[in-house]
Formats: sequence, C-alpha cells, structure tokens
Amino acid sequence: MITEILFSALVMTTPLVLASLGGLIHRSSGIVNVGLDGMMLLGALVALILASGGNWAVALVGAALSAGVAGWLMSLGITRLSANEIIVGLGLNIAIAGAVRFYLKAAYGSSGNLRLPDVSRLPKIDLPLPGPFGAVLSGHSVLTWIAWALVPLTAWVLTRTALGLRLRACGTSAVSSAAIGLHPKRMREGAGFVAGALSGLAGAYLSIGVVGLFNEGITGGRGFIALAAFYFGANRPWATAACALLFGIFDAVQIRLQGRGFPAELIQTLPYIMVCVVLLLLGLAARRRAEGKAASHG
Amino acid sequence: MKSLQAALTILFPIAIVLLIGAAALLAAGHDPVAVYADLMTEAFGGTRRIAASLSAATPLIFTGLAAAVAFRVGVFTVGAEGSLYVGALMAAWLGFTLTGLNGWLLAPLCLLAGTVAGTLWMLPPGLMKARLGIDEIVTTLMLNFIAIGLTTWLVNGPLLAPGAANSSTPQVVETARLTRLMPPSTLTTGFLIALALLFAYAFWQRRRVGGYETLIGGLAPRFAGASGIDMPGLMLRMLLLSGAIAGLGGALQVLGPIGRFVAGFSTGYGFTGIAVAILARGNPFGILIGAVLFGGLSTAGATIQLFSDVPIEIVNILQGLIMIFAVADFGLRGWFARRAGRQAANGGATP
Amino acid sequence: MSEMKQADAARGPRLGGQGLSKSFGPLMANDRIDFVARRGTIHAIVGGNGAGKSTLMNILQGLLTPDAGTVLVNGAPVAFRSPNDAIRAGIGMVHQEFTLIPGLTLLENLILGAEPRRGLGAIDRQAAEARAAALAELAGVRIDWSLTEEDAPVHMRQAVEILRLIYRGADVLILDEPTAVLAPPQIRELLALMRNLREKGNTILFISHKLDEVLAVADEVTVLRSGRVVVSRPAEGLDKAELARLMTGEPVEAPTAKPALPGAAVLELDRIGAGGEGAVAFQDFSLTLRAGEIVGIAGVAGNGQDEIVGLVSGMMPAARGAIRLAGQDITRHSTRERRALGLAYLSPDRKKEGLCLDASIADNLIASHQHKPRFAAQGFLKPRAIADFAAERVAAFEIKCASPRQPVRALSGGNQQKVAMARELYDNPRVLLACQPTRGVDIRGIAAIHEEILGFRDSGGAVLLISEELEELVQLSDRIVTIYSGRITGEFPRGGAGMERIGRTMLGEVAA
Repeated sequence: MITEILFSALVMTTPLVLASLGGLIHRSSGIVNVGLDGMMLLGALVALILASGGNWAVALVGAALSAGVAGWLMSLGITRLSANEIIVGLGLNIAIAGAVRFYLKAAYGSSGNLRLPDVSRLPKIDLPLPGPFGAVLSGHSVLTWIAWALVPLTAWVLTRTALGLRLRACGTSAVSSAAIGLHPKRMREGAGFVAGALSGLAGAYLSIGVVGLFNEGITGGRGFIALAAFYFGANRPWATAACALLFGIFDAVQIRLQGRGFPAELIQTLPYIMVCVVLLLLGLAARRRAEGKAASHG
Repeated sequence: MKSLQAALTILFPIAIVLLIGAAALLAAGHDPVAVYADLMTEAFGGTRRIAASLSAATPLIFTGLAAAVAFRVGVFTVGAEGSLYVGALMAAWLGFTLTGLNGWLLAPLCLLAGTVAGTLWMLPPGLMKARLGIDEIVTTLMLNFIAIGLTTWLVNGPLLAPGAANSSTPQVVETARLTRLMPPSTLTTGFLIALALLFAYAFWQRRRVGGYETLIGGLAPRFAGASGIDMPGLMLRMLLLSGAIAGLGGALQVLGPIGRFVAGFSTGYGFTGIAVAILARGNPFGILIGAVLFGGLSTAGATIQLFSDVPIEIVNILQGLIMIFAVADFGLRGWFARRAGRQAANGGATP
Repeated sequence: MSEMKQADAARGPRLGGQGLSKSFGPLMANDRIDFVARRGTIHAIVGGNGAGKSTLMNILQGLLTPDAGTVLVNGAPVAFRSPNDAIRAGIGMVHQEFTLIPGLTLLENLILGAEPRRGLGAIDRQAAEARAAALAELAGVRIDWSLTEEDAPVHMRQAVEILRLIYRGADVLILDEPTAVLAPPQIRELLALMRNLREKGNTILFISHKLDEVLAVADEVTVLRSGRVVVSRPAEGLDKAELARLMTGEPVEAPTAKPALPGAAVLELDRIGAGGEGAVAFQDFSLTLRAGEIVGIAGVAGNGQDEIVGLVSGMMPAARGAIRLAGQDITRHSTRERRALGLAYLSPDRKKEGLCLDASIADNLIASHQHKPRFAAQGFLKPRAIADFAAERVAAFEIKCASPRQPVRALSGGNQQKVAMARELYDNPRVLLACQPTRGVDIRGIAAIHEEILGFRDSGGAVLLISEELEELVQLSDRIVTIYSGRITGEFPRGGAGMERIGRTMLGEVAA
C-alpha cells in the first residue's frame, strides 16, 4: 500500500519537477511564467503524434522544441512588446488550448481526444533493488530519472556557472545588468525557451509516459501546481523539487482515497492554499523584520 | 484625436489576431473570410442571435467590470473567476433552500448573498495586499483554483441534487428566476442589470470623488499617497468591489440562464473578463463592446459547430491571442505621446 | 596598450575635453569646456548643482554627443557613440546610485560579465578569488567578498563598484559624489583608496562639491559654474575660501526678501525619532517653526532630510516624540488629517510624488482639495467649479499651457512645478514643507518659485525649506538649521554666516 502510493507519487511528481524547474529558471531570469500549463498541453500532443511514428526519443525532442518555441514567443511578447507577464501567460494557456482543439478537429476530426496506433511509449527502467526499494524505484520511465537528474544540474548551472550568474543578475536587476553589457531581454527569452521545453517534456511524460493517449484535460492544471512549487521553492532547485514531490504525494494519496468518501476536490486545492499561506508568512516575516529594524534604531 | 487613439489601440491588436487566425484557417484548408463572415452572421444576424450574444455577453460584462475597477487603482487582480464561482454557489444554495420565500424577496436575497460572497472571497488577498504588500496576482490566481475546488466538492457532496448524476445543485425555486426578456432566448433581466452597472460605473468614474481618487491613485500611487489618499485602503476597497461585481455576476447566471449551480459553469468568464477590461482600457462603453464581441464569438462558435465541419475552436485561439495582444505595447502609445508632446510645444507650452 | 602606458611619460594627458558644448533648448548646460586630466592624477571637477557636471560626465561616458568640441583620449580627439566606446577607451564611472545586484555576493558582482572560467562554462572560483584579493590589496581596502550585496556595508559596496571598473579594464575612473552616502571614517578610507589607485597609475575624475575632500586628494581642480569652466589649475596653493568663491561666484544677497516678522509657533517637532532603514539613526530631533518665517534645513543628502519630510508629512510613522501643528498633536495623524489642519507639501520627486503627470492640469490642481465644498458635495464632483478654479490658478501662477485639460506631462519642468505650487498654496495652508522646490527648473522658473515662497511667508505662512542648493537656502531662509547625521549642528539667522561656515557645520563641525 505505502510502496504503491510512493511509486505513484513519483509518477505524479515527474511532470511537476520538470515544469517547475522550467518555471524556476524563467523566474530566475525575471519572468513569472503562468503559461506552463499550456506549454505542457502542447508538448503532450506533439509527443503523442511523433511517438506514433515509432520513436519516443524523436517525440521527446519534438515536444521540447515545440513547447520551447511557445515559451520563447511568450517571452518575446513580454520583453519586446512590454506586455504584462501574467496576462500573456493566461492568454497563452487559452490560445494553446484553442489551437490544440482546433488542430485535433482539423487534422483528425476529433473533439478533444486523440488515440493513435503504434505509439512508442517511454521505456521503463527496471532496477534490481530489494523489497520496498524496488517496488518504489523500479519501473519508472527514463524521463523520471532525467527529471531528477535535472535538479542538481539546474542548481549547478545557476550557482556555479557564468551563465547562471548572468541569468540571476538579469533577473534581479535588468537595468544594472544591461549597464555592464549583459542582455537581459535575450536572457529572458532564452530562459523562456528552456521553461517551455521542460514543460513540453512534462506534457510528453503525461501523454506517452503515463497513459499513451491524449485528451485536452490531460494536464489537469499541473502547470499551475508547478507554479505553486517554484513559488514555494523560492528559486532553489532542491526546495522546488521537494515541493513538487510533496504535491505529487498529495496527488497519489488523493487518487487512492477517491471513492472512499474523501473529498478529492478539496485535497487538490491544498497546493494552492499552501502558496497563499507561504506568501502570507513571508509577508508577515518581512514586516516583522522591518519593525525589528525600526525598534533597534528607536 | 483622442478617439482615434482609442480606436487604434483597440483595433490594432484585434486586426493582428484576426490575421493570425486567418493563417490558421487557411492552413487547415478553410476560407477565413467565409468563416469570419459565418461567425458574424451567427453572432449578430437577426434578433434571436443578437439576443443569444447579449446573453453570453452578460457574465463577461460583470467580470470585465470587476477587472476594470481593480485595474483602475493599480490592483492587478485575476480573481474574478473565483468570486464568480462562490457568488453563484451562494445564490444557488439560498435559491433552492429557502423554498418557502416569496420570489420577489428571494431573488434579491440570492443576488445580495452572491455579492457578499464574492466580496468576502476577495478579503484575504485584499488584506494581504493592503497590510503586507503581498502581490495580489498570485494570491487571486490561487484563490480561483481554491474556489473551483471548493464549489465542485460542495456540489458533488453536501449540495448535490438528489438523484442527479452530474455535479450540480437542485434547481432554484422557479419564482426566484429572472424574467426572460425575449423567450426562448436565455437573455434575462440580468443583462439590464449589467447595463445599469456600466452606466453607474461611467458616471462614478467621472463625477464621483472616488472616481477621481482611483484615477490618480492608479496613475501615480505615490502622488496620491502624498496628497492624503489612503492608498492601501483604496486598493482594498476596489478589490472588494471587484469581488462584489463578479459575485453578483455569478449569482445572476444562476438565477438567469442556468437555474442552478453546475460545476464548471464558467467557461473562463473571469479570464475573458480580463481581456475585455484590458482591451477596453477601463472604458465602460469599451467593456460593453468587448463583452458583446467575445460573447457573440462564443455563441456563434457553439452554433456553427452543430452544422458545419469548420474547426470553430478557432474562437478559443482568437480569445487567447486577443488577451495577449491587448496588453502588448506596439509603440502606438509612444507615438501618440510624441505627437501630443509636439503639439503642446507648438501650442506655446515652452518654458 | 599597456606597454604604451608604461612607455608613456607619467602624467601625460589621459582624458580631456576641448571646447565641449551642449545645450538643451535655451539652456547652455556646457559652454566651451576645456580641461585635461593627466595620467596617474586625481582631477576634481567642482561645481554647484546646475553647474554642468552631469552633462559633462554624460559626454565623457558616451551617453551624450556634444554639440561642439571633442573629447580627448590620450591627447587625441575621439567621438564616442555609445557607452561601450568609452569603456573600450578604458573609462568607467561609478554613479551615485549603485549598480551592484542584490542577491549576488560581492565576488559575483565583481566578476559578473567577465567571469574567469574553467570548462563547461563553470566559474573558476579560485581564479576569481585570487583576482579579487589582488584588487583589494592594490586598493588597500578590506573586503569580505562572500557577503551578499544587501548585507555588505555601504563603503564596501562602493569599493566594489570602483574595483569592478578596474577589473573590467578601466584605468580612468569617474566618481560622481562618491562620499555623499558615507560617514566620516568611511570617507577617510575612500580617500585613501583613491590615493592608492592613483599611485598604481589610474586616473580619477572626482566630482564633488565638498571642498575639504577635494583639497585633501585632488592634484588638479576644474571649477564649473553655469556650464563654463571658471578655472582649471593645480590644487596646490588653493584654499577653501578661494575655492568656495570660485564655485559660487560673488555672494548673492537676497534682493527681494523683506525682514521676517515671525509670529506664533505653528509646527513643533518635539524630540521626535524615526525608525526605518536609513543609515542615519534619526532621533531626539526638535525644531520649532513660527508663522511668517522660512526655516532652511541645510545638510548633505541622507543626513535626516528624508526623515524630516516623512515625519512631518505623515508618510513615515514616528517611533517616539511628538509633532504639533498649530497646537494640535498630530503625531498619529494621517497625511490627509495633517493636510486638513493646514499642512502643504511640495515633494522633491516632482514626477512621481509631486504630480500625476498623466492626469490633467486641473486634476492635479485639485488633488488633496478634492473633498472641499468648493469642488465636491456629498461625494459628487463639481466639474464647472473645478474648471473655473483651474483657469483661475493657471492665470494666477502664469502656468504656460494650451488648456487646463492638458496632461501635466506636456509642460516644462518649471511650469510643472508651478502647478504643484499653485495646488499646495491654495486654501491658506499654515505650513509649507518645501523640498528641493527648484530642482530641474530653469532660471526664470526658479525666480518665480522663490517669489511665491517669499510671498507666502509675507502673508503669514511658515515654510520649512529643505534644499541641496546652499545658495537657495541662504537667499530664502530667515533661519538656517544645519543637520548632520540626524542631528542639528548649527543654527544661523539670515546673514549670520557665510556659506563656507554653514558648509562646515553641514559636514559635522558643531557651530560654537
């Protein structure tokens, strides 16, 4: 029972880790990305269509590229046309959802669903681990392991490389960064591509990793949960991944408890409530700090 | 000059979006001109269709206005969707519980309850913004999901209509339902309330001290503060007003076209309302036009779907893109500002 | 390049200007400026506000193109098209607003944009630390490179700003009022750092109006006044009195000011203290302002001016003490309540706090008065009355505009400030809190604003005048109070002391 829940928690966590890392990178560059959900949806559809050609690797690349371009275009709107990032993100979600349905109708004559023959599913990795470890860790798809490998990689890039340093600098102060010759706009656009690409992979995991088909509700709002995770993680990759894991566990537990009288809809709102609570606590702490400073001066 | 600027800033993004939509239609093998013409005919060709479009526009007027009143003072709420849901649920609950009450009493009571619920829903983010300076965008976005989850749970459990399979409450008492203006269309007196609200807003904006204070508060918050305007309090009040308007809109949907609360009854009214408000730049007449446009698009889309193979999902693409391009700055404003500056210089305003 | 530097005779010309001129409309900001800063020297550029210093710096940095004349690099004429050209020529500038990035450590801020690397784009931390340590040693300063920007003390941040320029290859350092934000011991440290960098062959352009500091470090001095070079000469043999005279020209006597007839006390600050984040602990501050007098606050920026403004206007809560306006305790009153009791406030930040640039002149004129019966009844505005009022104020204050419905943004700086004045002086306020009332205003506008302030005083108003322009303070104030580090260091009646003496007490010397 516990091992099953943990196994499915890791499954639920995978798309969240991918998308929230993307959101984290974009946010480090200075943009709050509300469009992760739409890019995930796009990645899910593209992956399924390409995987039907028989190669899951091609499907992953295609999902990452297409959603990456969406993220890049979104960033262009924000950096070059100074559009509000939140509105653009929400608009992108609506537009992509529309485009996906439009395409399904135009190309397949179907409304909202797509089932294709010969879909090449993501391969699963079996680990010869004993007992409960094997039950939890064995049998996950490659993308799960890639997602977790990306966590230390992201942390390393952000803190230890020139690129990460510049990204953080541009995210904190575009004016000061531009003054010493960096290109904050290009940085944000590049980060937007990465955010899109990672969300696209998250979508691909849902369509060709978990279920093997596509429907328009496949993301289940996970793009917004990812938003909650990177808000919660405050730009720290490990903390963000830990939040994603927490939300993944919620998800797994909630699926288990469904039909046993537990209010699934309420459990699903927990991540969102937590974001509000965290923001409230941060705000209270900031005020206490300011008051403390005032008191020590007085 | 000013109206030209207003027209251009509204029409330019729409034109771009229509072009992109046309490209998508062409790629899918459809004649964009024909599709757009069909859409226009289905939306506004004839009284019945116009009535349907106005009915669809009604909730958008409320959410658009809800967004506009908050944006006016610089509060960037995206929370109309949440207030709409809780307002609708509250109205539905009273509407099927207080069956003994006279319709003339019950209907206003339901509307009031919806308004209050929508207002209270914005209290936490409002207080967080006013007292602690916590970013309202994220909190209101999160509250939308919470409202949707909460109401869905309620109508699947405690408030589920007996015997009903889908997630909805029982029907509201018939006597509390709003009058249909042009049966069989779902256009109700709710639309008239929306219009009245728009007029009230137009008047308030220009003639009330509050309209003046929100104007300068939104344009120059520090100036407003130095002039003695209590900015945090004003922001809180406008966010609550925004919630009230959205809550009333939800209640009117329940007493109007739907007759009960159904989970997922809003097709993103709150989000479309943001697009409406931004496109209108807060102008009440613009909100009306925008809401009717979006409302017309969605009803036309729904009907065309019934008898043609045109991928009418193009309507969703157009909605999302309009939202994006409505907030984009194509340099038009800068261009107008430079022109205005030159004119001022010629008008003798040099030092 | 560096060999050339070695070969070049020490003290050859490094950066200069020849006939540099730049005008903005009718204002000649720079008028045929000639100067030469020699290699390995500290060259001070001295002048009051509006003397043309910032225009000159912008030209030297490639941010502005001169109308006439040329910039000289190593004695040869060059034309900078962008700041990058200046950086390539080895010229870097430290602005008054720091540009270090919060969240990054000082080390990261140092190397940002030119990081030493190992493979895979990874930062070579050891190399970076070694370079940082070498730079600190060269400059003779102690820096804890692992501190983040927000945790580092201000003098350390400033040292990093300067060292970052050297790290990036500059050997000409333009420092704009670098001591404005520092306390005296830190100032001594900064001056030592400047000397050390000079010894290593760097050239420093030191922009300042603090005469002691200039005389302490500068090898040569160029004095600007009204856009022109008054003198450009070696510092040796200059004394402070002489330098002050060169900077200000002949002392200007206030021609229009009648003697004040002060009445009863209207504003009393009684041992008030502020909390907040400023470097200055502002406490136990007492000051009394009487009707019919102008009290000027003189001090270097950041020595308590913001606290006085915040506490009097009600935008900053008082941590202790009491403020009384016309006998009423207003310590806990909101800004609106204070205004209702007769407080008027002319903000130093005209664009953001003093006016709403995108609203009409009329809307700006009624701000803070919008509730008064003349403009509104039961919350309904009276458009006709507002229009009449606007027309009346525009005429009375000679605001040049096409119509009161025009946005304020379309007006010139002087006319914008007149709009703010016309609003604040309406309805007979008791106290006018006037901050930098003539900042960014041309000469004619300044005269008009000064006249309004004096007129307000003559009609019995009390003015608390805060200004960075010592000349303006001397001209207008019936009393000048000097502040330093949040404390009053001296008080001078009109004509009671020369600018030089007031300047000294502004710098912390307590007046006997």
